[in-house]
Amino acid sequence: MSSVAFALFGGKPAFDKPLPVGQLYFPSWERYEAAFRGIFGRGWYTNQGPLTQQLEQRLQQFLGVKHAICVSNATIGLMMLPDAMGLTGKVILPSFTFAAAAQALSWAGLTPIFCDVDLNTHQIDVERIGTLIDEDVSAIMGVNLWGGACDLAELGALADSNGLQLYFDSAHAFGCAVGGVRLGGFGRAEVFSFHATKVLSATEGGCICTNDDELAARLRNIRSSYGAGEPVTVVKTANGRMSEAQAAVALMSLDDYPDNQTNNKTLHDLYAAQLDAVPGLRLVKPSGVSFSNYQYVVCRVDEREYGLSRDMLIELLKAENVIARRYFYPGVHRCIPYVEELPTYQNRLTSTDELSATCIQFPIGALVSPEAVERVCSILRRAHLASSEIRSRREK
Amino acid sequence: MVKKHSVDNLAIFGGPRLFSTPKSTSNLPRPRFEQFAQYSKLFFEQHHYTNNGPVVRLLEQRLAAFHQAAFCIAFCSGFWAIALAVSVLARKGRTEVIMPSLTYRRMADIAAWVRLKPHFCEVEPDTLAMSARTAKPCINENTALIVGVHPIVNCLDVEGLVELATEENVPLLFDSVESAYESASAGKTGGFGNAEAFSLHASKFLNGFEGGYVTTNDADLARQLSLMRGFGFSGADNIAVAGGMNAKLNEVHAAMALACLDDVDEQVARNRQRYHTYKRLLADIPGVRLLEFDERHRTAYKNIVVELLDDWPMGRADTLRVLNADNILARAYYSPALHRKAMTYGHVPADLPMTDKLAERFMNLPCGQRVDVEDIANIVDMLKFVSANAMQIGARLRAKRMP
Repeated sequence: MSSVAFALFGGKPAFDKPLPVGQLYFPSWERYEAAFRGIFGRGWYTNQGPLTQQLEQRLQQFLGVKHAICVSNATIGLMMLPDAMGLTGKVILPSFTFAAAAQALSWAGLTPIFCDVDLNTHQIDVERIGTLIDEDVSAIMGVNLWGGACDLAELGALADSNGLQLYFDSAHAFGCAVGGVRLGGFGRAEVFSFHATKVLSATEGGCICTNDDELAARLRNIRSSYGAGEPVTVVKTANGRMSEAQAAVALMSLDDYPDNQTNNKTLHDLYAAQLDAVPGLRLVKPSGVSFSNYQYVVCRVDEREYGLSRDMLIELLKAENVIARRYFYPGVHRCIPYVEELPTYQNRLTSTDELSATCIQFPIGALVSPEAVERVCSILRRAHLASSEIRSRREK
Repeated sequence: MVKKHSVDNLAIFGGPRLFSTPKSTSNLPRPRFEQFAQYSKLFFEQHHYTNNGPVVRLLEQRLAAFHQAAFCIAFCSGFWAIALAVSVLARKGRTEVIMPSLTYRRMADIAAWVRLKPHFCEVEPDTLAMSARTAKPCINENTALIVGVHPIVNCLDVEGLVELATEENVPLLFDSVESAYESASAGKTGGFGNAEAFSLHASKFLNGFEGGYVTTNDADLARQLSLMRGFGFSGADNIAVAGGMNAKLNEVHAAMALACLDDVDEQVARNRQRYHTYKRLLADIPGVRLLEFDERHRTAYKNIVVELLDDWPMGRADTLRVLNADNILARAYYSPALHRKAMTYGHVPADLPMTDKLAERFMNLPCGQRVDVEDIANIVDMLKFVSANAMQIGARLRAKRMP
């Protein structure tokens, strides 16, 4: 097969418009307009209004947790938690994750301690946590990645036996279940993201879930005085409020969750079927869960088998208007400012480095049709077959 | 509307409320829905709901022009706008941030988030504003930054504070959250000091549901803030600066703020009418002094603040209890002052007698979109009624407090 047909070499791009990786589900214009006419009519715009209250109740029901505390975004939720949980010193978390998890710890005055992940599941490697625990460590932040989950039972046992608190960044995991139990109530708290790129969207937004009444009270008092309930003493407050606008979008998105999850699964299954026979591309199945939101399509690229490096493939796809992403790249330990401590992590995070160098994320969500998946997969197959020619043309 | 004819009629003693819906001190401007919808269409059609989308970019352009500043960076709230601006501007290695104590109740917490100690300064009794005179004694070798907070009626002395900051070589951030429309004698807010911070909270001049922004003429500062609100990312995979977080403004909030910005002249005209109604009617009540806007400069006439003078016949706390019960949600003006609050984080202990005195004397009266001139007449009548029946009300309140 000739490489000439690829847009990278002057061919016509496979897509007219860029195809992004994010979920980007959004209600129809008519529903949006109706919801916002309602807000204008009530004149209640923020400060724990009726829609935010309703959203919190519905999230509690949906997730089976006692408290769902809606926040401006998931990062601010993760920034609020350490004070509320009374964390000190160091917190262990994976490096193969989004930088916000570590940044939230830095904002809280804590030191992130990066742990490696499992090469197959991409989740935090529980067996490696033990060696990182010292007397300054106060907690473990598990990250439930890719619509999957960490080994919750093992993590819980490890945290308990070491007297550590355990909480989760579940930004990727809204609606996912482990053994039939929805995520949200594990550890002392879990934080979900309602960013536009996630399966549940408030454009920006998130929520902190917990079954702990005292922790919930502290979080509500940190978030804002509105909806704080009974005043309790906190070290410092923030503005962590979710507006009525965000809640309106999230409520519609929650109505749509079953349809959007189904659409994701259909597309994910299609990728799996189409890529099954492509050498060197291995789709990562959501691990550790009985139910996934399938909000990410993540593959590992084996350069030797596939014929192209991950980065070259990204470049090739970009020319076709397929905005595939290296995700997460690099590991957080290699990002500013944590990279300054790199010698500590040089040989410790080999799986993280390996995954950062080989993972690719493909488009899935509202803007992606089954036909688009087929077309993306067709490019991927053709690129494999033409890989040596592509390589040599790029080298020239 | 139930007018008060006897003390028994007061809601605090079981009478029906004067207002069936609360009259608050929040601005809550409601722009034209069609404007909001039109701006919403911009992001809707591009499927671009956040991450510096078309509406946020337009808002930033419009606000930079509005403030005659070179750059505007939008944030998810005024709180995080100030926090990020403070963290960037504070001189490295120094530990204290100077701010008034008679101000926003979360201001000291903002300093704590960026691990600086609040060093509280006094305010001037005639303006309720900090000044070069009150800030200067707080400057020492630990001073990292001055936060020059405009009061909620009129502006502080911008030129004086700029001069002090320049002389002392200390960075200066203006908190102009309550002064988006105002001009000081130095000119329009937005272009002074190293940067100015504003809020888009629904209770403020421009309603963006929640939100905030910073204006500056410093290109490096603008770039750094713009990166930090988005985790420090410069490009898809590259974190270029430390100290990032998610403080992005979403597109829906930006659409709302733009719709409000289209409506500012009408809003100011309405506020002006409210203010002049208060001014005319309050003139008849002894013991209540309206804080007047300096109409030589551009003002939004937004906040209504009164001082309860020595001849006002009731304590402020009781006055507020009586008013609040009748759904007049008047509030104590910045009370307690920040230096009087318990703080478990580092701060410079302060002795501020003028602030202590002022923190007991002022209150904010209802204003904004949901308060019309008829409401104002009723609010002022209520104050008259309280004044005329203060002895009896006081006795009933004391009896009520008895076990």
